[in-house]
Amino acid sequence: MAGLVTAFGSGAMTNSVPEIEEADCILVTGSNTSENHPLIGARILRAQRKGAKLVVVDPRHIHLAQFADIYARSRPGTDVAWVNGLMHIILTEGWEDREFIAARTDGFERLKEKVAEYSPERVEAITGIKQGQLREIARLYAGAERASIVYAMGITQHTTGTDNVLSLANLAMLTGNVGKRGTGVNPLRGQNNVQGACDVGGLPNVFPGYQQVTDPKVREKFEQAWEIKPEFKGLPQEPGLTLVEMMNACAEGTLKSMFILAENPVLSDPDVNHVREALQNLKFLVVQDIFLTETAELADVVLPGSSFAERDGTVTSTDRSVQRMRKAVEPPGGALPDWEIICQVAKRCGGNGFEYDSPEEVFAEMAHLTPIYGGINYSRLENEWLRWPCSSPEDLGTEFLHHDQFAKGRGLFTAVEYREPVELPDEQYPFMLTTGRQIFHYHTGTMTRRSPSLAREVEQGFIELSPYDALQLGVQDGEKVTVASRRGVIEIKVKVTSTVSRGLVFIPFHFAESAANVLTHRALDPVAKIPEFKVCAVSVSRGPQPDVRCD
Amino acid sequence: MNLPQEVLTEETRQIVSRLLRDNQVVGVIGLRTEHNHTGPHLFTSADDLKELTLEPRYPLATICQAILSSLSQGKLGVIVRGCDERALIEMAKLTNIEMERLVLIGLSCSEELARQCRCRRPYPSHIDVGEIVEGVSPLEDTQVRRLLEQNVEERLAFWQQEFARCIKCYGCRNICPVCICTECVLKEECWVERGQIPPELQFHLIRAYHIADKCVGCGACVAACPMEIPMTTFYTLVQEKLRELFDYEPGLDTKQKSPITTTLEETPLREL
Amino acid sequence: MNYKTVLTVCPYCGCGCGMYLPVLDGQLGQPIPDKTHPLSEGRLCIKGWAASEHVVSPDRLTQPLVRTGDDLKQATWDEALDLVASRLMTLRDRHGPDSLAFLCSAKCTNEENYLLQKFARTTVGTNNVDHCARL
Repeated sequence: MAGLVTAFGSGAMTNSVPEIEEADCILVTGSNTSENHPLIGARILRAQRKGAKLVVVDPRHIHLAQFADIYARSRPGTDVAWVNGLMHIILTEGWEDREFIAARTDGFERLKEKVAEYSPERVEAITGIKQGQLREIARLYAGAERASIVYAMGITQHTTGTDNVLSLANLAMLTGNVGKRGTGVNPLRGQNNVQGACDVGGLPNVFPGYQQVTDPKVREKFEQAWEIKPEFKGLPQEPGLTLVEMMNACAEGTLKSMFILAENPVLSDPDVNHVREALQNLKFLVVQDIFLTETAELADVVLPGSSFAERDGTVTSTDRSVQRMRKAVEPPGGALPDWEIICQVAKRCGGNGFEYDSPEEVFAEMAHLTPIYGGINYSRLENEWLRWPCSSPEDLGTEFLHHDQFAKGRGLFTAVEYREPVELPDEQYPFMLTTGRQIFHYHTGTMTRRSPSLAREVEQGFIELSPYDALQLGVQDGEKVTVASRRGVIEIKVKVTSTVSRGLVFIPFHFAESAANVLTHRALDPVAKIPEFKVCAVSVSRGPQPDVRCD
Repeated sequence: MNLPQEVLTEETRQIVSRLLRDNQVVGVIGLRTEHNHTGPHLFTSADDLKELTLEPRYPLATICQAILSSLSQGKLGVIVRGCDERALIEMAKLTNIEMERLVLIGLSCSEELARQCRCRRPYPSHIDVGEIVEGVSPLEDTQVRRLLEQNVEERLAFWQQEFARCIKCYGCRNICPVCICTECVLKEECWVERGQIPPELQFHLIRAYHIADKCVGCGACVAACPMEIPMTTFYTLVQEKLRELFDYEPGLDTKQKSPITTTLEETPLREL
Repeated sequence: MNYKTVLTVCPYCGCGCGMYLPVLDGQLGQPIPDKTHPLSEGRLCIKGWAASEHVVSPDRLTQPLVRTGDDLKQATWDEALDLVASRLMTLRDRHGPDSLAFLCSAKCTNEENYLLQKFARTTVGTNNVDHCARL
């Protein structure tokens, strides 16, 4: 998100999902779209049947790769290099959109100098992508009337995540593929309201609507609206801690208490042994959830909330569409709607302004304070399909961003240098581990592993191992292996597959008893503070080990 | 001739209103447009009838079955197109659904819809709303024709390519009104490997075989397929063989038995 | 007999697919994909089709739980909420607002996330607010 904010001024998906069908070339990278955003994956394949060229660049031969016009297998963590390489070729061939660059962007000269250093030969050496293939990708992408880039956590979950995103933004601006239909730089958000949680201020540095907490004018507006008590001396001025920083602060003892709403960091965060110890170090932990998750088990108080079927409210999907959720059934037993629980806690803490009759009332207050949602209300959502920004009752919402100008005025090219991942394989840990999801499960498995028809498909975790490595290790499909990193050890079943290449292994992180995040490390992208889930070094050995920490 | 949609919708509303007023039915299953979206709805009073809509098509037969199972007394109304009625008849053959507890409001499809669906019988046995339009042979479909001209290897290659897109959502099975096994073999490890996408070819072959003599050509499977795999094309070709060999069509009469389940017991298979 | 269908959004990924939840005599059924939804157009993936299953899981939490030693024991809402409020405020007063942190949720609504960050910022007085956007 930070990358797109720097380049364009907004971190959201630039274009809408249906527009994907209008693209002539779709570059999918770091997104296992047909497994993790299946209905968007389906759109991509439909676009291809309508004539679009599909290019997939990914370390794994994902489901979508088998249909791609070009599939390039990149080494994990080398995205800046191959994107710079594409731009190198585009500039050498003169395929750039000079008019767009001149009219709408800054920083082109520095970019040009930088990408000049990324010859196809050098890029092949770094990334493993053949020069001919790179040229062909450059030709397809730059030659398309409308080219769209689709990416997800495979791009962002690196210590170079922000650089990766900046590079993709550079590529789109270089070829004029922003600000028009069927183009853009499109990060797919992984959860049904991750976009919304960001939009409404669920971040340490911004109030709702990405209004900076450091801006005195913004603070004044919110202080007035929220009727801050005088003894508070105004709203806090400094950005707070990000998630991984919070866990570190727990471990160090500077954080004393956490309130966790429906999340499961004990499985989802990097280096979960550390997370568990960190949370245990707290004086008081509150978890509000619908199941006794691995995190809730550590809590001092667990508050039972509502599932999606028991909810009224709104969620914002990946392409900025604001949609109504409607309650179908009552929460079970004594469980309550989450908004009511939060208001109850706030009121008992002496909080002001937590008297609401309905989620609609909450939305109205929020929209009033959040310019990008300013024109949205429940009655409009009954009749209209609205994507933010939608600032007034007359505003019909925004299908694609940056039409006449970028959200920040002019787009900014950033010259980006390739940097290696923090932890690369060595003699002791010779394999590169990458993590992710698969289609039958979701995030920490809290909901999907309790859904019989999903649990039946995949009951337990597995490690993808290439046929070559399986042979070398002398292990067979279904056999148990021990996987170790500098952080921890797990025991897990082998799945031999050519989805991964020699030296690369993949573990989905849904499964607590063979948790991939025991192995991952806490190294962060310096700007976005995203952990490097996609690359760390592990060893794989046959059979169990006596010291295996396995429940 | 096609009557305007508004006229047909109004006529349907009046019929539903009459059935409810006269207490002939407890409720009527149809479609309602609310929140600017359209979905299945049980109409139980005249209050929301102004929101009654006729399109798009939803698997109403399956919903009827669920509601009937919990309806202790009275009858249930349902707005049926030709395919909905055929689905109900097939369900009645295979399950305990009682046709006499249903009041069917027959709706004929438009010529356009009939062509779109390549539907042989775009109308129910009794038409209350709309006029009978001529059926379209499924063989007129260009894809069907192309496949018929191809040899076995070419056809297999075509289907392998189509089925490779499958992400195993089970949508085709879930939405299918005649997929009624309580224990689905598609979930059994010995037939189809679990947790694999795309699933092996037998996933689709088993389904095709299971519904070969039941498919009513409603097209719900294709409409529900994220990957737009043209399954009805596949089933159509099987159905056409059934017509050719046994002069049999599913969904016409609850008393008519499928030749696939009866032939071995009663009459020997015709020389092929 | 009572039957209704309720239009809502799939709880899983960010696609935001549309579905009707059928409720027959209070029992939640399998979702019916919304054919008029501009994004999902009457289609769902396997998770969407299974979206009702976790809702009716016997593992659902139905009462607040409060820790007593190594165990979590059932408590009333008043007990649980009062305990949360008093402990949070005590720690805040003793160690300052920034000794507390709040995780919002990508699984909750805009309204719920708005309320939690409002609580953290106005009542507790900290910007230690984040969620799993980065995970």
